[in-house]
Order: sequence, then structure tokens, then C-alpha cells
Amino acid sequence: MAATAMDHDGGDMVTPGELLGNSLTLVAGRGAYTEGRSVRASVTGHRRIVPPAPGSDDQRSTVEVVGHKAHGAVPQPGSIVIARITKVMARMASADIMCVDSKAIKEKFTGMIRQQDVRATEIDKVDMYQSYRPGDIVRAVVLSLGDARAYYLSTAKNELGVVSAQSIAGGTLVPISWTEMQCDLTGQIEQRKVAKVE
Amino acid sequence: MEYVNPLTGFRVDGRRPNEMRQLKAEVGVVARADGSALFEMGNTRVIAAVYGPREIQNKGQQVNNKEALVRCEYRMAEFSTGDRRRKPKGDRRSTEISLVIRQTMEASILTDLMPRSQIDIFVQVLQADGGTRSACINAATLALADAGIPMRDIVTSCSAGYLCSTPLLDLNYVEDSAGGPDVTVGILAKMDKVTLLQMDAKLPMDTFESVMGLAIEGCKAIATYIREVLLENTKRLEYQRG
Repeated sequence: MAATAMDHDGGDMVTPGELLGNSLTLVAGRGAYTEGRSVRASVTGHRRIVPPAPGSDDQRSTVEVVGHKAHGAVPQPGSIVIARITKVMARMASADIMCVDSKAIKEKFTGMIRQQDVRATEIDKVDMYQSYRPGDIVRAVVLSLGDARAYYLSTAKNELGVVSAQSIAGGTLVPISWTEMQCDLTGQIEQRKVAKVE
Repeated sequence: MEYVNPLTGFRVDGRRPNEMRQLKAEVGVVARADGSALFEMGNTRVIAAVYGPREIQNKGQQVNNKEALVRCEYRMAEFSTGDRRRKPKGDRRSTEISLVIRQTMEASILTDLMPRSQIDIFVQVLQADGGTRSACINAATLALADAGIPMRDIVTSCSAGYLCSTPLLDLNYVEDSAGGPDVTVGILAKMDKVTLLQMDAKLPMDTFESVMGLAIEGCKAIATYIREVLLENTKRLEYQRG
């Protein structure tokens, strides 16, 4: 197999708990943590040193441990997620989060898009049924960890919203403006909050 | 009954007092789980499977919003002991051991990196010959490391006892049912911190220190072995990936 972008610079393999260095000279990155004065590994993998960004006031290098199997992603506030709409109601829509930051996850998380988070303008005049339908794939950003039931998502930006949808006739919907999509089989126009894909 | 032969110094299974049983571990045995491991200490065989981090199934159980919820279930297979068990889980001993394993592993997992999610650890005893608690903790550690869940350190556990005036390392079922003291220790290997310490029966204080010291040495030996298994497994996976 041709060599991929995965490189083993630094090379040596570490297991959880192994001492990587001193916290005076190293900053703990992904796969590592700081305990008092020492920086230790938290997963199994290869140790990698990342030089400090030029111009930053902290001149310590970052040490990372790159494992073969990272644990499944958990949505964090600010991460871009891909979700499928499951339920549309008068003031909110429920969605199943399927990908977090372009990494697919094994088991879905539940998210919720409230009426005021659908778009940035005229948020009190939003009609949920003309923004989303069940089965639509949307790109959204995680606002917060939300309540006990679901993460709060928002599509209030140009590049967020419906990415892919099926029309009532069963054909694929093609975006024609930021509020309308057209079915490629019947030519019927349906209303959605469309994402502007570059 | 003589558990330690006064002439030769051998135990009932031919080991010396400070000798542990043979260890064998295998990672990735349950393909569908996020992480899994099979761990054997002599005749005791346990299998552990880890699922997570995933969304919390039962919202009522979530106590802290900023940390992951760790759940653990310990079961013994019905065929694991001599007589077929009627109730493999839900009896008091299984509930207690589930709680013990959960608290031990929770001390090591960096739960604040995965808020609002749940990590499930399932351990099942396939063959029980003493030291099932320790074997389960070792298997759970391997499974968590296989799943890539960030941990402070590798948690290992070993038991030790005191029979015929000799501290004995890693008791098997015969020695365990002799009625002598049984000390189970779980440590964070590189950081030298104790996360689990249990004992039944009584011991005078100075004897207890030597028995606990022996168990900690056993834990460190297991940690060395577990590290080798993890490094070997990672090398194998990289080699397969090309």
C-alpha cells in the first residue's frame, strides 16, 4: 500500500500513563494530559512533537499521541455536524446527529433546532415546515450541550442548512435559491432553508 | 490441609509463594464492540467489552453534566464454576463487584473530555478459578485502551493471601476457599497510586503490609505484560494497514 499521510516522526510507541516529559517544556496535546509537573500519555499510540506556533507567547512544543483507534467523536459546542431531521414541530425540529466535524460516529446523538436558530434574519416569522422536512440532511453547528434530551443546534448561517433532501415525488431536490429547492423528476418547487455550498 | 508444602515450599498447584499464574491476553475479540479483550490468569478466563462514548440511554442516571457516565456490569457465565449457576447476575456478589470495577475504572478514565456521554464496560467470567475480580479489572483496562478511551494510566489488579504463615501471590480457587485472608489491590501502574484495596478476614498490621506489598508487585508485573500486549497489538494493526 502506498504510504499515506500518516507519518511516524518521533516514532516511539507509548501506552497510557507513560511519562512523555515535563510540563515546563511541553504542552499536553491530543492523547496526552498534564498531572502536576509531568505530561503523560492517555492513549496507546505514537508520540509526536509539534513545534510551537511562531509568534505565540507560549514557546513550549506540544506533544501528541496519535493512536490507531481514536474514540468516537462527541459533539462539542462550536463543532459542525451533519444531522438527519427526524421530527418537525411548530417551534422546533429534532435531528439525529450522524457526523461530527467530518467524522462519522457509530451511534447517533439527538439534536434539536429551535425556531429562533433556523436562520439569522426575521427569526420570529420562521415556519418550521417550510424550512425542514423529516428525512432532510442538514449541516448545523452545535450551540451548546443543551438540556437532558438533546444538543442545541443552529443553522443560522449561509453555509448551514439543508444539504440534501428528497422531494415528495421521490426525486432529488436541487437548490435554486436560499429558500427553494426543485425536484429533478417533476420540476415541483419546495421550500427549505438551503445551505450555500461552495 | 497444607497449602504450602513445608519441605519443598510449593503450593497446591506447584507454584512458589511469590509466583503468579500464567497470563494470557488477547485484544479485539468482540468485533462489534468499540474495544474488547480476553484475559486469562491461570484457569480464570474473563472477557471484557467496552461500548462508548455514546449518548446517554437513561437520562435519569446522569448526575454530572460535565463528565462522562461510566457504567459497568459484571456477570458470571452459568458454566463458569463447578455447579451450574442459577442467577448469573443480579445477586449481591455480582452487584458488589460491578460497583467495585466501575469505581476502579472511573478513577482512571479522563471523564471530563467526554461530557454528556456514556461509557459501558461489560465483563463476563467464562471460567472462574479464583481472582475473577482482578482478572476483570485487567481485562477492562485492555478493552478501554483498545477502544481508544483516554485514561490516566493502566489499571491493574492482583490478589494475595496469607496461608500457613506465608504470603501467597495470586490465589486460585482452592486457596481462596481455605478461609484465609484475601487482599485484592488495584493500582495505577506508572503513577504508583492505589485505586482499589479490599480484604476479607483479618490480618495483623505488619503481615498486612507484606501481603499488600506482594500484591502490588504482582500488579506491576501484570502492567508490564499489558503494556507489551498493547504495543504488540498496535504494531500488528499498523502492519495490516500498510
